[in-house]
Amino acid sequence: MNTHPHLRAYLAGIAVPTFLTPLVVCGFAIEHFRFGIAVPIERVLIFPMALLPVLWGAWNVLYFLLGPRLRLPFGFHGLLFFAVFGPIGFFLARFVLDLSSVFTLQFFGVMIPSGLLVYYLLWKYFVSYFNRLLGLA
Amino acid sequence: MNALEDEKIRKLLHAVFPPVGDAVPPRDLWPAVLRHLDEAPARVPWLDWVCAGVLAALFALFPEVIPALFYYL
Repeated sequence: MNTHPHLRAYLAGIAVPTFLTPLVVCGFAIEHFRFGIAVPIERVLIFPMALLPVLWGAWNVLYFLLGPRLRLPFGFHGLLFFAVFGPIGFFLARFVLDLSSVFTLQFFGVMIPSGLLVYYLLWKYFVSYFNRLLGLA
Repeated sequence: MNALEDEKIRKLLHAVFPPVGDAVPPRDLWPAVLRHLDEAPARVPWLDWVCAGVLAALFALFPEVIPALFYYL
């Protein structure tokens, strides 16, 4: 387990979203087809589904590339991920993907702190677990 | 494809792929994996409990934020 540390970091990074995304998609599918509830976000779910695992993996690789002197504690590294990509995703959803009815500016004020906390906890407890399991930390 | 060709392919494959040699790792890795999995979980700091509590409160007060967060997973 001493070779290819960046590949292992990438795999540890993508583990959480690749596990969660199918569950989320199944949830939306059941909600839509079984109960007939249409949530606007389901129209654009393909974007995060395709992009986010790659970004999570790359962000985890970045953690190990930064080295011990530049790294933040792991939870804060995850929090920083949302601080960077959260607003980008919000403005993409609002202005490019035409979800301005959901992604209002008031909504932004609630979503950002929630997202920061979710990411902090997910990275601190789950991504770091996969890193340890793959012999990285 | 006749037997001669089969033999030729077999020899070619042998030539291209070198023998693996000693494929057994120098030590048994399974106990290390089990030890790793059985390690006592670290204690959760109080700050993380506070974060989880605040998050639960936010979800209770603004449930519409939950599907939006799925957009980020």
